[in-house]
Amino acid sequence: MKRHTSVPSDAAQLCILTRFLQEFWWAADLPPAETVTFELALEEIFMNVVMHGSPAGQAPRIDVSLALCDGCLTLMIEDDGPSFDPLSLAAPDVTASLEERRVGGLGVYLVRQMMDAVSYQRLGGRNQLSMTKRVREPIP
Amino acid sequence: MKVRFESLSLATMVIPEGRLDYGAAAGFQAQVEQLLAGGGTKPAGVIIDCAGLDYVSSAGLRVFLLAARASQRAGLSFAVCALKPAVREVFDLSGFSRIIAVYADRAAALADTPLGSA
Repeated sequence: MKRHTSVPSDAAQLCILTRFLQEFWWAADLPPAETVTFELALEEIFMNVVMHGSPAGQAPRIDVSLALCDGCLTLMIEDDGPSFDPLSLAAPDVTASLEERRVGGLGVYLVRQMMDAVSYQRLGGRNQLSMTKRVREPIP
Repeated sequence: MKVRFESLSLATMVIPEGRLDYGAAAGFQAQVEQLLAGGGTKPAGVIIDCAGLDYVSSAGLRVFLLAARASQRAGLSFAVCALKPAVREVFDLSGFSRIIAVYADRAAALADTPLGSA
């Protein structure tokens, strides 16, 4: 099962993308407990592109696709903004004290922790971030 | 996301309900800041009761972090309670469970709130 959608790089589109994900979830009859991982990944990566990926006067388009294969769900987020690999961000110090703690980089860190596999590539002038997690046991 | 407040003698309960995502974070932060800046009689503590919170992203975590810091500076105790599993996972992975007091429920959080530092 595969679905694809495309939206402008605008924070107001987040709720539309979340609904797109939720509708896929219901249509594929996936376990509700796993939906949060993908909702979080969608928000963190989408907002990263919105906030860091737009040169002045240009609004890149963002493509989001979902593909379910053998119980593994892959979320792919692509944009035509400047080259940016979110996986190159330094991991936050999750042991820092309350006063020293920073939130920057936490979103991507959470996505890497929660997904089974995350990969980035720059292809044809586009950033492609692919995130995969097993959401259902394989059918024997 | 909806937010309710309940003033108890020991603490002010902050009760967010729904999804604390990027879109909801700024509004929630403003409400919490208003509470912490509010003059008059201050409670000894602030407890965020998350029983109705279904989702939190890094934008939401930021509000918890800033609120915990502001409370510490104001001399108030700060705690969260009744985290649903999805929210608990994000708190644990981010290390927030180590820097913010997390309780199983409201009664446990209140039992640990220090008396009358207001």
